[in-house]
Amino acid sequence: MIERWALVSGLLGDLEAYDLIQRDLKKTRGVTSLFVLGDLVGPERNCDALLDRLKNPHRGDLKPDCIYGWWEEQLLAERGFRGERKADALRLSQGEDAVNALLNTVNPSNLNWLASLQFGFIELDCALIHGSSSDVGDNLTSETSPLILLDRLTRLNVNRLFTARSTKQFHLELTGGGINSQVKDLNGKREQQQEVPKRSVIGIGAGLNYTLYDVGSDKTHFLTAGSKTNPKRKGFA
Amino acid sequence: MNHAIISCLHANLPAAKAVLNDIDRQGIDTITCLGDLVGYGPQPNEVVELIRKRGIATCQGCWDEDIIDGLNACECSYPSQLAERRGHLAHQWTDDQLTDENKSFLASLPTSLRRDRLLFVHGSPNSQHEYLLPDMDAFAALERVETAGADILFCGHTHQPYVRELRDGSIRVRLQNADHECDQGEELTLPMRKIVNAGSVGEPRHGSTNATYVIHNDATDEVEIKEVPYDVGRTCQAIVEAGLPKVFAWRLSHGFEFAEQAEDASHVCER
Ligand SMILES: [Zn+2]
Ligand SMILES: [Zn+2]
Repeated sequence: MIERWALVSGLLGDLEAYDLIQRDLKKTRGVTSLFVLGDLVGPERNCDALLDRLKNPHRGDLKPDCIYGWWEEQLLAERGFRGERKADALRLSQGEDAVNALLNTVNPSNLNWLASLQFGFIELDCALIHGSSSDVGDNLTSETSPLILLDRLTRLNVNRLFTARSTKQFHLELTGGGINSQVKDLNGKREQQQEVPKRSVIGIGAGLNYTLYDVGSDKTHFLTAGSKTNPKRKGFA
Repeated sequence: MNHAIISCLHANLPAAKAVLNDIDRQGIDTITCLGDLVGYGPQPNEVVELIRKRGIATCQGCWDEDIIDGLNACECSYPSQLAERRGHLAHQWTDDQLTDENKSFLASLPTSLRRDRLLFVHGSPNSQHEYLLPDMDAFAALERVETAGADILFCGHTHQPYVRELRDGSIRVRLQNADHECDQGEELTLPMRKIVNAGSVGEPRHGSTNATYVIHNDATDEVEIKEVPYDVGRTCQAIVEAGLPKVFAWRLSHGFEFAEQAEDASHVCER
């Protein structure tokens, strides 16, 4: 079967946005999986309705596979699900009020489900993670040094890394290059040459901006739910 | 000017003394230590006190960290369960022996030291527990040095001394984003960088029983790997007498870690 994935993130409790994406996907041919790469929750609005919909999909919904993101990590840490660690990153960047706002957006009955979500998925030769294997908050963009992008791919030993933390949509391919290295130890010297492997990092966007990925042809399509200029109308085969 | 870098003394006093004598004999007075003052060996207090007395600039090693923070490293630090159990035993013994004063000294050590373009760490800039092995992926190795903003990265932890030069690197990329379908390709030229592993004074695993350390000349950037013989038998005897696992003495008298290699050298402990 030819696989086509839909990749979504950064809903931050916005059920309306999720509903628009589901409507879009219903009109799109051949979508086989829906991955939600974290930040289901956020500090702006009550998130329980969205969490309910994700846990109990409507009839006709593409069933979502979810992982946790930076906001879930902050929430779960503050609620004692991460040992001694608290929502330190959030507290540091946005202060105590932001932490309290976040706590109030999710009913405690949803915490166990959020805590059961995985850090990432490995599908075929692709990794799907909110940030990167280095950190859930790893903010990878098309501006990030290719050396760092390559490192994140190497750590997971995958050919493609789908990331969401930056909220940006991009598909950056490593197409070539190499490096020489010489190691000297007590046994002598040896030279090595290494080529850059053909690998990519894909930023999937956030909120209404989502991504379709055709696994067979390695094509990405950056879409905006509900938008009239939706490129899917161009009809890609 | 020549300066010396030592690492992984591992509570082996005869080895530590022999190496410091060797350095003194050459008239080198700048010494940097990359940690692991304790663990495995039978003289933890003596070695810590020697370093303190000599006022040697030191960063914290994985053992020094674990003695202070407790053993909460994930199993990735150990190549096998057997090795892990032995490690725990040595940890407990070291913890019992060390004086409070020496423990506070270990706790006070920084995780890295920097002098201009030289960076000194125990494992890697990411973690005291990460192994930078000589044959690890060259781009990943370069990333460690480059992200840390150094020209030369001095590390230890693997107990195998080496000098690795990374050069003539480039990465070509092509970008597609939401605004424009496809960008022209771009090429990034990577800088030349070096990783110098100081090996181990007190627990060598490079295939010989000699203690190892390195000398770096900061004018020419030349690096020399030094080997120093010492009375291995005396340390082995002290290990057995202390009731530490006999395999530590066996390893010292062979100079390598038998059949135990860290499985995933690029793994980064995320505890
Ligand atoms: Zn060591
Ligand atoms: Zn170590």
